[in-house]
Amino acid sequence: MNQLIQSLVDAISAGATLGLAALAIGLVFGVIRLANFAQGEIITASAYSIIFTWQLGWYVAIPIAILIGVILSLLMEVGVFSRMRMATPATLLVASFGLSFLLQRVYELFFGNNVRTAPVAPELAQSLEIGGIRVQLLSVATIIIAAVILVALVQFLNRSIWGLQLQAAAADFRIARLVGIPASRVIGLSFALSGILAAAVAFVSTVKTGAVGPPFGVPIVILALIGAVIGGIDKIYGALAGGFLVGFATSMLASWLPSDMSNFRDAYVFLLVIIVLIFRPSGLLVRGGTVRT
Amino acid sequence: MATDEIGLVVRDLTVAYSGVPAVRGIDLDVPAGHAIGLIGPNGAGKSSALLAIMGAVPHGGSVQVNGEAVDGLAPERVVRRGVSLVPEGRHVFAGLSVKDNLRLGAVGRRSSDGVAETLDYVVTLFPILAEFRDRQAGLLSGGQQQQLAIGRALMADPDILMLDEPSLGLSPTAVDSVFDALATIREAGKAVLVVEQRAEFTVAFCERTHVLHDGVITMTLKPEDATNVQVLTEAYFG
Repeated sequence: MNQLIQSLVDAISAGATLGLAALAIGLVFGVIRLANFAQGEIITASAYSIIFTWQLGWYVAIPIAILIGVILSLLMEVGVFSRMRMATPATLLVASFGLSFLLQRVYELFFGNNVRTAPVAPELAQSLEIGGIRVQLLSVATIIIAAVILVALVQFLNRSIWGLQLQAAAADFRIARLVGIPASRVIGLSFALSGILAAAVAFVSTVKTGAVGPPFGVPIVILALIGAVIGGIDKIYGALAGGFLVGFATSMLASWLPSDMSNFRDAYVFLLVIIVLIFRPSGLLVRGGTVRT
Repeated sequence: MATDEIGLVVRDLTVAYSGVPAVRGIDLDVPAGHAIGLIGPNGAGKSSALLAIMGAVPHGGSVQVNGEAVDGLAPERVVRRGVSLVPEGRHVFAGLSVKDNLRLGAVGRRSSDGVAETLDYVVTLFPILAEFRDRQAGLLSGGQQQQLAIGRALMADPDILMLDEPSLGLSPTAVDSVFDALATIREAGKAVLVVEQRAEFTVAFCERTHVLHDGVITMTLKPEDATNVQVLTEAYFG
């Protein structure tokens, strides 16, 4: 019983982290049809900055990480993707692969191949006992952070005129522009929000590992992309839920697979993904079954 | 700005898709307080002409709004010059409330002053939008969605209102109420350009109605032609 609850809390926390990462991908995809693989390198950049600045205090390190996430995300849009507006989603995806590899080499050049370490928020590394059940404090903190970010984001999307413009553009970009919503504004907004989400993911991930190397964001973004696709990448909340499911399933498999099989954990996750995509090619949470072109 | 400059002037408008011409040199004058119709069979180039005026598809020729050229501007910039399009098929933001659809319409205004007055005007024109303000737009009937689409376009406070097949898929009573509203909008001094398949209705309503065939204007009709079946048949079938 105790072990089940522990693993559930860990799985919800892993799901929350990947949900945020997938949401970042879904926000951008909804507007410009870009599945940004280089989202992983935004997470890495924020993670490096947390490692390097943590000694200055969390109130310095976290705003800087957010700032770096937002700036790098906007730079990607201005420097690369805004120059490819007529490109197909496949071309954009390949361009984002290229950008991802390039940035990993840049990180290697500046920070070396070895991981950089720092004890980030070590106080979160303890376990917590609630009613005789021990859970990781970090898992609980991750769930709370993700919940706060989601509530804030949903409020922003549903109540502010900027958030409504983003929703309108995600629903139908062509019509949004005909209504008078400026394309550059909503695209910039979606990249900025995805930068903030990357910083949040970077924070909970660096607390967990305390170490950051050039490929830090890659495994996160692979699972997040898969989550976004199975949830329905062109629906903002579909991407979120898909990311959550993948994170949850990965963590549960890690807890419960026999130890000699846990090396193949990711294989089981991908098997689930294949099954989902065979039966629901446009995503689990998308009504109907048609693929939007 | 002199009053006689308010309106839309289109000269020698051409549109081509991958080299295939869709609009082959049309002229339009839509002055303030007038309604101009554009009718013709499917594929005649009616929608292409409207999208070209909005800057949503590349075009040749010139488009002037209130005496200033808007050629080459993106759609969101054309809206800010005072042109709003009610797109074919309505395309309200189905997942958002009626109120939020109208708020989004106001994003394209030239000035943020007077939003409340415009909203009052819109809900006076379409009282149902006030009644259902918190309802999801996708749950409205076709006629109500058309009212919302027109209301959303009016929230940008345009001088020129363009509508692409506003009667498409609507019941006869819903069509009547849409054209009643258009009459009020025209009386308020806006320039109205309406693309339609329903010839009789449009010819009767508009001061002038151009017949478009294969991308060129082949005939221009006046309201008194609306009852002349022979003229209308000729307009459609050449």
